This record gives sequence, C-alpha cells and structure tokens, in this order.
Amino acid sequence: MKHKERGKPMTYLSKTVILCAGLALAACSNPDRLGGAGGAGAGGAGSGAYAPGSAQDPKSPLYFQQTVGDRVLFLVDQSNLSPEAQTTLDGQAQWLMANPEFNAVIEGHADEQGTREYNVGLGARRSNAVQEYLVSRGVAPNRLKVVSYGKERPIEICSEEACYAKNRRAVTVVSVTPVS
Amino acid sequence: MNTGQIISGAGHLALIGWALFGGVFKSEPLPFEVTEVTAISGDEYAALVAPQSAPETAVDVTSPEAPDIDDSAPDLGSGTDVQPEVAQPDVAATPPPDERPEVTEVMPPADAEVSDEPPEITPPSEDVAVLAPEVAPEAQPREADRVAPEPVAQPEPDAQIDDIVQPETVPDEAAETPREETDATAPEEATTEIVTEAEEPAQAAPSKSLRPQTRPERPAEPEPVETAQPQEPAETETQTDESAVNDALAEALGGGGASETETSTPSGPPLTRGEKDALRVAVKQCWNVGSLSTDALQVTVVVGVTLDADGKPTSIQQLSATGGSGGAVSKAYEAARRAVLRCGAKGFDLPRDKYDHWRDIEMTFNPEKMRIK
Amino acid sequence: MMRQFLTLLTAATLLAASVTTPVVAQSPGPLRIEIDEGVIEPLPYAVPDFVADTDAAAELGRNISRVIAADLSGTGLFRELPKDAFISQITSFASPVQYADWKAINAQALITGAVSVDGNGRLVVQFRVYDVFAGQELGQGLQLTGTQDGWRRMAHKVADQVYSRITGEGGYFDSRVVFVAETGPKDQRAKRLAIMDYDGANVKYLTDSSSIVLAPRFSPKGDRILYTSYETGEPRIYELNIGSVTRRVLPTQAGTMSFAPRFGPDGQTVVYSQAQGGNTDLFSMNIATGASNRLTSAPSIETAPSFSPDGSQIVFESDRSGSPQLYVMPSGGGEARRISFGQGRYGTPVWSPRGDLVAFTKQSKGRFHIGVMRLDGSEERLLTASFLDEGPTWSPNGRVIMFTRETQGASGKASLYSVDISGRNLKPVQTGTGASDPAWSPLQQ
Repeated sequence: MKHKERGKPMTYLSKTVILCAGLALAACSNPDRLGGAGGAGAGGAGSGAYAPGSAQDPKSPLYFQQTVGDRVLFLVDQSNLSPEAQTTLDGQAQWLMANPEFNAVIEGHADEQGTREYNVGLGARRSNAVQEYLVSRGVAPNRLKVVSYGKERPIEICSEEACYAKNRRAVTVVSVTPVS
Repeated sequence: MNTGQIISGAGHLALIGWALFGGVFKSEPLPFEVTEVTAISGDEYAALVAPQSAPETAVDVTSPEAPDIDDSAPDLGSGTDVQPEVAQPDVAATPPPDERPEVTEVMPPADAEVSDEPPEITPPSEDVAVLAPEVAPEAQPREADRVAPEPVAQPEPDAQIDDIVQPETVPDEAAETPREETDATAPEEATTEIVTEAEEPAQAAPSKSLRPQTRPERPAEPEPVETAQPQEPAETETQTDESAVNDALAEALGGGGASETETSTPSGPPLTRGEKDALRVAVKQCWNVGSLSTDALQVTVVVGVTLDADGKPTSIQQLSATGGSGGAVSKAYEAARRAVLRCGAKGFDLPRDKYDHWRDIEMTFNPEKMRIK
Repeated sequence: MMRQFLTLLTAATLLAASVTTPVVAQSPGPLRIEIDEGVIEPLPYAVPDFVADTDAAAELGRNISRVIAADLSGTGLFRELPKDAFISQITSFASPVQYADWKAINAQALITGAVSVDGNGRLVVQFRVYDVFAGQELGQGLQLTGTQDGWRRMAHKVADQVYSRITGEGGYFDSRVVFVAETGPKDQRAKRLAIMDYDGANVKYLTDSSSIVLAPRFSPKGDRILYTSYETGEPRIYELNIGSVTRRVLPTQAGTMSFAPRFGPDGQTVVYSQAQGGNTDLFSMNIATGASNRLTSAPSIETAPSFSPDGSQIVFESDRSGSPQLYVMPSGGGEARRISFGQGRYGTPVWSPRGDLVAFTKQSKGRFHIGVMRLDGSEERLLTASFLDEGPTWSPNGRVIMFTRETQGASGKASLYSVDISGRNLKPVQTGTGASDPAWSPLQQ
C-alpha cells in the first residue's frame, strides 16, 4: 500500500481501520464464530472477565467495530448488498437488538471515480441499503440514521482498484447518543 | 412551343429573377451598414456610462465593499495590505474586495490637454483609415500557438517570423529599427486546427495537419474566359451589383453597344486567377481572428481598399457587413482592417502594369470556417 | 417572338454566369476577393508603465501596467511585447502617439495610461487604447478613481475595457472566485471556503476547517454564496453573505440530506439535490419564504442542477438511463430531455452565461474530461483530459472555464485550472494551498 511507503507512522485511526477491515472479512467468512462471540458476550457481561468498553467487551462499540464488523463493501456504482455483506449486517442487527441503548449512524462512501455530487447521491444509496436491511432484521428505524460522505472521506488513498474497493463502503457507527 | 421549351423558359426566367434579385439583396445593405458602424461608439459610450453612475447607488449594493470581511476573515492577519506584489501572491490576507473605482470619461470636451480626440483622427461619418506611408520593418517572432490555414513547419532557426516570406537581404529600409539587417523571414510554425488536451494523441507531431485542406490553393493559371469580351478594356468606375447587372444585361442583349461610361484605360489585361489567389493568401496570413469574440466571428464584413501603385493601402473602408450587431461588426471590421494594413505595409505583390485593375479592391472577410477550429 | 425569347435566354445565361461567380466577373470596377481563412494567434500589444508625476504614483503605475499585462496575456488571446523592444517611450499621457514606432515592433494594440493621487489621497487612473496600424484610438479615454489600496481592481477594470474594445465581448478580470481550500493528506483532508480575485490574488477564508464544505456557488450579483457543509453531521445547504460573512442554513426538509445547490438568475430561487430514503431528487426553494417544491421523482440519482440564464430551464445530471447523463427540463419540473449521447458518463453540467453551451465533466475510458456541448447535445468538444478533472465553472463572459484537477495516487492533490472554450490556454490557477470546486463570480459592479 502506497501510504505505508510515506514513512510516516500510522495513525491510530489507520491501524484501527485496517484491523477493522480484516476482522470484518474474517467475520464474513466465519459466521459461526460471530454467533459464538455474541453468545459469550451476552453471558459474560457482568463477569468481569475483561475491561468494560474494551474490544473484548461484547457490549462495546469497539467490539461492534472489530468483531461484529462495522462495514460492508460495494461494487462500482452499485448499492446492492452481497451475501457477505448481508451476513455482516445480520451480525450488526443482532448486536443492535441485544444492545438497545445504542443507536447507529450509517455512513455511505464512494471511491474517487466520479463527480463529487454524484458520489454523494451514491453514498446515500449505499447507506440507505444498509439501513433498510437492518430494519428488515428488526432494528427500529428510529435508532438508525444515514449520512453520505460521497468521496470526501476515503479510508485508503491509493488510486487503484485495491483501494477503491475498500472505499466503496457503508460503515455503521454505533453510539449511545440519539440519532436525531 | 413544345413542353420542353416551356419548362426551359420558365427555368431560365426563374434564373433571371434569382440573378437580379439575388444581386439586389446582396447589395442592399451597403448604404446602411456604414452608418451603423458610427453608432458603435454610442454603444460603447453607454456601456461606459453605466459603471460611471454606479457610485451613487453604491450604498444599496452591499456585497464587495463591506469592510467587515477584514475583521471576520479567520486566521489571517492584515499584515500584507501594503503595496501588493504583481507576481502571484501567496495565500495572504489582503483587504476585502477593493473599493469599486469610479469610472469617468477621461476627456471632457473642454480638456485642451487631450490632443487626440476621435474626430480629428477619423471623419465622424465613416470609419476610414488613412495611412501615413511608413516603412514597417519585420515583425517580432510570435508565440508558437498559432493556427493558420495551412500547416507551417518550424522555420529555420535564424529566420525571423514574418507574414511575408522573404529571403535574407542586406539592410536598406530597415535602418530605423535596432536590427542591423533584414533577416530571412518565414511564416511561423502553425497547425491547421486547435488541438485540445483531450484530443492530443499520445505522440503526435506538433505541426501535423489534422484535417484535410478545406480549400486547396488553386494553381496559378490564366483565368478561363467565361464572360463576354474579357480582353476588352474594362471600365474602372465603381458601381453596385445592380448596375453591373444592368450593364451586363444590356451588353448581352445589345451586343455591348449600350454602355458608354467613361473609361480610364487600364494598362494590361485583368488579373489572372493566380495573381488574385496570391493576394488572397497574402491577406489571410494577417487576418487574425484569434482575439475576436464569438459574436464577431459571426460577422462577414466587406471592406473597400484603395492601393497606391506600390500596392500599399491608402484607404480602407467598411462597405457592408452581415451576421452581427453593431459592436461585433465593428470588431470584425477592425480585425479585417488590421489584416490589410499589416500585410500591405510593404505593398502587396501585384503586377504593376495592371494597376487599374487592383487600385480598388473589395475584400470580403468571411469567418465561417474559422469559428470552430 | 421566338427569336427574341431565345436572345433573352442567351443573355440571361451569360448574366447568370457572370453574376453568380463574382470572383471571375470581368465587369469593370473594384477587384473582388473573398478571404475565408485566417489565422488564430495572440495579438501583440504594448503596455508601457503608466506615467506618473511622483515616485509613489510611479510605483503604482508600474504595478498597474503589470496587472493589466498579466490579465491580457493570461487570456492567451494577446501577447505582450517586451519593454526592451520599445522604440519610443511614453512619457506623457497627453502627447500624440508615435504610431510608426509601435508599428515597427508589430504592436497591434497600445495601451497608455497615467496615474496620480488627488488632493484627497484618491488614486486616479487614466488610460487609452490605440489600434496602432489604423492609427487611431479604440474607444475613448477613461478615468477611474478609487482608493490606493484598490489599485488591483482598477487595473482589472482597465484590462476589462481593453479586452472588450479589442474582442467585442465583455472581459472577466474584475471578478472573483470562491473555492474550497484543501490541506492535509487525502484521508484527512481539511476543507474550508475561500475567496480570491480571479487571478489568485487576495485569498481570504470564509469558513474554518472544522467541517467538510463542498461546491460553493455565487448568487447572480456575487454578494452571496450557497454551499454544502457537514456542520450538523449530514450535508446541508448554507447561504453565506460575503460582505458580512454571516451564514444561515436553508430550511430544507428535516431528516434529509441536501447538497448541490445553485442560484437561479433571480437570486431567490435555489435548486438543489435532496436525498431521502436512498433516493436523490431535485427540489427548488424560494429562499425568502423557505417554500420548497419537488422537481423530480424518479428512483434514480438526480443532481448537479444548473439554470439557463433566463431561468426557464434546468440542465442536470441523472443516472435514470443506467449511467450518469445530462438532461434538460423546465425549471418548474416536467419532462426531461436527454442531451448527452457520447460514450461515457457525464456529470456536473453548467449552463454558460451566454446561454448557448453547457460545460460538463465527462468520464470515459478511465480518464476525466472537461467539455462543452450545445443544448441539443451537438458539437460536443472535450477541452481537457487527466486522471481527474471535474466541476467546471464559467467566466462571466462565457469564454473561459475553470475547474478542479486532482492528481493521482496517495499524494494526490487538487488544484484549479482554467482553459479557453476553444481548448487553448490550459493553465493552473495559483491558489497557494490545494483547491477544488471553483465558482466564478459575475463581473463586479
């Protein structure tokens, strides 16, 4: 990846992002593990086996990010959800149902191949696709909010398909603040 | 009369009508367009007066003058509002939109200092340029981005760029310039068409012609005889198309006996097609439409030129124009005038023995092909 | 009878031959030739330093003539002759011009001027424009009065006059550009609104960089700006008064995202995109009353609307056909007509101020282009090509297009470029920082 060659230390954000991406893929390919982790989290919430709020705490946003998987990816110009994406979103829906104090903002993003305005529209489509899926899995619509960033917030900065593929995404950001 | 003759007759009558009225329509705008040109200064005057009156209403027009921007522009100090540099400034805080200058005409009628009032330079009724006979030495080289009718290869490194190709000579009349001698000149490198970034092929030769000649130069050959008595001495009177039609008609009908106008006998036969083409080529090399507005590029202007025996223009006059409004016509005429004056500065290369045939020239400048290059 | 008729026919035939081909007509009178081809090249001009009677004024005089020259030469339509080529100097504004000296160096236009400071400390600039080869003045002399600080604007106004007197169309030098100044790496880019003179001078910031801002657009009078900001978390449209640098959010529908705003020619009507439920449609709003109404209701993305100069129509971008293309519809909504049919994706159409052309972004075969076409989609012409060009904006006279060019890769950076609508004179616009989304103001009053 080109940005590593710049010699700058990676920011915390970058590390998190890459870790998240990796975990999301792992989660996609191994749904059983996801279910098991969820069960463990529910059972051990009060046991003190891990620090509350850490990535091991199944009720934490970090756990949601890293273990459940907070993002799904899209093909060029597309906003339909792949089977892998649906699996990830199934996990997100379960988590949100199990943690009703959390709300979520779904951020839609696009790669840089396209005009600024069109990409905002495209990001809106993607975030909406995720929202609709989560609602169809039982999450209350008033807990979800969508926002499109178009191509304004790339996560990968190279100008190659490897990066573009990761930038065409919808990211579910959970927090306890009200969505609107 | 059989049917064929009737059809033929009707067709020919239509042809006559078209010829007559076509000629009439063509010549009709002549007297009017000239006066329209004088109205232009009025237009410009109005345009200039408009901003002049602006300061009175300045209070209402809020935007650019508000001093508030100074205070509220974040982050930037106002340290650089001293004498600004002319070079591209860095990101620097400068005062908000500069105050709108008041615009006034420089010349009040009573201003004795101003020596060059327009009426002294040109007759108020017509836009006629009268030339002082000056020698124009060679031009400076021009920039490379030139579009010309024919692709021109890059000239010899030591050749001066000029509209007129000439061999290197020893100094004679160029003495008043800093240059010691007249260098060889050659037309500037040029393409036939603007090539945009989007159209550039990967490794295109810069001087490559990108489309075929729309009108190849005709070979210099004697003009074919197409009309009656071409070898006869021609009258030199200037006349409209209509009277020319009448004369031609009378001549054709009556065997040429009708017309009895005075003739100053020209010395020599009419110009050959090759000679005319040479003149055309000479003028078009100087007809620069690159600085004309889109509107002015819609205007076809007919210019009357009078040459002295050396082929240098002594007067230029706009005869008619079609295709545009006052301002556009004026700019189209000025570009045509520049073409004649610049390329005629050393005298057009025309056969001296046919002077009476080319003393008065009507040049039609038609920019149709130049609109989208 | 028959004989006479035939004679007439013969005469008519001869007549037709002579009249329809005037070039070869041998009738007496002036020689007639038609010039139907010419050259396109920068017109050489000279602009000696404006004369002054004090040292301070002389400095201003030099600066003003330099700005005028930068304006004129920057168009690509004119070429300044260097001072060391001058044969005669202009030492007095009132003295007659030695045309022969300027002809000798092929100066086809000559601009002379004088600078002084009046009793109130006001700067007074006078100038004249000459057609050297015709030996006469183009237009009449003008005098401008303003503050000394405002000398750049006065220079731009002089250059506008010169431009207009030679070309026959209005200039664009006394104008400004609002844009998004960009700093920082691609994935953490800070964006803020900035405004500058058209030539890059006098950059000022209008917002801070705490939230993403996109695509500012001028009001018809140039006194206000519409832009999109993520200040509240989602994209919403703001109106900013340039004079007071105060802003307000437009009352678009709650729970939606709104973006891509543009003023109508009345300065009151705004068209924009609103995204709701994943669908982006066009809306218009009267910003005085806040009343809005829906213009499109297709399941596709409709965005980047731009009014015709008379306000009767809107050109916009839609992917209703499967890929983004350009459409025109009445400004109140209604049936839309597709105008782009070339290969590729079309976006961000902008109606020219002259009304005859649409500038657009085109994406084709992995490259981006800025192009122009007529309103019926004919005469498409691509002016640029690069990794990423987008977001054209027109100069006030409809002659030049400014746009965003972004370079490729991890170190990619955005900057502004301009190009003549002929495709010539492509060049960067200096902004100091990275820059995107330019919008050109109308000529200042």
